[in-house]
Amino acid sequence: MAENYAVELRNVTKKFGQVVAVDDVSLRIGRGEFYSLLGPSGCGKTTTLRMIAGFEMPTRGEVLIEGEVQGHLPPHQRPVNTVFQNYALFPHMTVEQNIAFGLEMRKVPKDEIRRRVGEMLEMVHLTGMGKRKPAQLSGGQQQRVALARALVNRPEVLLLDEPLGALDLKLRQAMQLELKALQEQVGITFIYVTHDQGEALTMSDYIAVMNRGRVLQLGTPEEIYENPTSRFVADFIGETNFIPVTVREGGQSPRVAIGDQVVEAVWAQDGLPVGAQAVLSIRPEKIALHRQASDAPGKAVIPGKVTNLMYLGTDTRYTVAIAGGSEVVVRMQNVTSSEHFFRPGETVALAWSPHHGRVMEAD
Amino acid sequence: MYRLFGRYPSLRAWLLLLPAALWLFIFFIAPLFIVLAYSFLERGTYGGVEWVFTLENFQRTFDPLYFNTFLRSFYIAAVTTVITLLLGYPLAYYIATRPPERRGTLVLALMIPFWTNFLIRTYAWLTLLRTNTGLINVTLLNLGLIKEPLPLFGNDFAIILGLVYGWLPDMVLPLYAALDRLDVSLVEAASDLYAAPRNVFWRVIWPLSLPGVVAGSMLVFIPSLGAFVTPAILGGGKSLMIGNIISNQFLAAHDWPFGSALSFVMMAVMLAATLIYFRSTTESDRRQL
Repeated sequence: MAENYAVELRNVTKKFGQVVAVDDVSLRIGRGEFYSLLGPSGCGKTTTLRMIAGFEMPTRGEVLIEGEVQGHLPPHQRPVNTVFQNYALFPHMTVEQNIAFGLEMRKVPKDEIRRRVGEMLEMVHLTGMGKRKPAQLSGGQQQRVALARALVNRPEVLLLDEPLGALDLKLRQAMQLELKALQEQVGITFIYVTHDQGEALTMSDYIAVMNRGRVLQLGTPEEIYENPTSRFVADFIGETNFIPVTVREGGQSPRVAIGDQVVEAVWAQDGLPVGAQAVLSIRPEKIALHRQASDAPGKAVIPGKVTNLMYLGTDTRYTVAIAGGSEVVVRMQNVTSSEHFFRPGETVALAWSPHHGRVMEAD
Repeated sequence: MYRLFGRYPSLRAWLLLLPAALWLFIFFIAPLFIVLAYSFLERGTYGGVEWVFTLENFQRTFDPLYFNTFLRSFYIAAVTTVITLLLGYPLAYYIATRPPERRGTLVLALMIPFWTNFLIRTYAWLTLLRTNTGLINVTLLNLGLIKEPLPLFGNDFAIILGLVYGWLPDMVLPLYAALDRLDVSLVEAASDLYAAPRNVFWRVIWPLSLPGVVAGSMLVFIPSLGAFVTPAILGGGKSLMIGNIISNQFLAAHDWPFGSALSFVMMAVMLAATLIYFRSTTESDRRQL
């Protein structure tokens, strides 16, 4: 049922000489999805995108677009368009000429080109700027032209290579919302490459987290954030604590020892034997501080001592030292006023629900 | 001194410019005016000039005898420019698309032959092209591939060949500079937007390389128009260009005023060409901004 996917990658590998840039990646990207490839620089996400666009050909494996095997089809014969990281606007053409380029190449009638270019300019809020050269536009405006130039062709799939990377923070956040709204409006499949986990969480329907050429985890932003299945993913997406533990029981209902305190966890990575040194991954906001262990029935509880606190407005960020000398970060929302703050030096009980604890390889 | 310069910063600039300005004035601008003055005077019997004002020298430049040579020089320079462009563009494109570490070597390889004296290289062509004793004709005749020597020498073909050979690097280097600046992602963007390779070239690569095309063309056209070594040697005394006529007026005919007038008409043509060049490059630069 390959035709159910906008883009499908089957065991795609790309080598540059001896360097494996993309290593046996398989993806299925559904129609109309906002799908992010997320990972640090050099993880293979851009190479993956370039293989879908046709700028690179896979060393092994297949790329399918709308169920069609692409083989060695050159970029101009693929039903996808790309928004480049540096926008790659044609400097010698006006905004209108840039946007019309793809339609002209496909020999769309002149009056239809004029109409569609006008519509696009309106959609990206650039009406009246059509006669300008790209160099006369701000970064954000150039970004919109790049988007319009791709979307005007109504591609099956839009490929975006870190399109917001060059913008300043405020503009980037505004454009994130705009992009997401635009994607919902046009209903085109977006494949979005980014190294910014916040961006990926905000905009995506699905995320593929990549590292060293491999896909480590696929899922919705919530699944990836709540249920990371590797230390890399837990670390790369959001903030997390890795508390050193000894495995007491693996498998379906894992139990680990922190110092001499045994707690339950919801999930353990495969292949961790009993007695192994591991880490318990737990997000700072999942942990609550209490005066006494008995205040948190039904929770995993360990003792600690507050070493530091940082007031952040909506919440307070505590650093708590626990048995064995490691430190745990705890974020508690400031629901009530400051008299409930725990002070540095205070002995506290750290409590969390066992189904937030995930046991992973130590390194 | 230092305080003086500090108080009058423009004085320092003028002092630094002075040697170059003096040099240019004494050896370039002053002779230019002497030549201009001569072009309005009558010839002396054994060279030199008679101080009598006349416009006759300029009238003579439009004499078909000389004017046709003008037109032919124009034609030869234009053909040379087109051929160097056709040869140089693919070469420059090839070099510009190699990995960065190989480009330097290729540019160097392009330049090395031109470290040899131009006269010697032109004589080398002479030994290759000469009608009865040239290496090419002798070889082909001995192999029995031709019965009569090919007309390789003493004609426009030989001159154009020599000029193309001589000025090719002057075409390739500005083209290479322009193509090297071209952002590869623009080429990718064009092909991503359904442009077949020939459209990528004509709609993106070619227009963005135009400053290099114009610069290279001027660098080839202007010296080709004024060439006299190449036509003197490879033209075999039969095929002449305006540069040869001018040198003849000074050296053989002892008609300095007429030689001066011819020089000035040629300079006017070159100036016009240069102005066109500057206008088109600044326009394309403006387009790129």
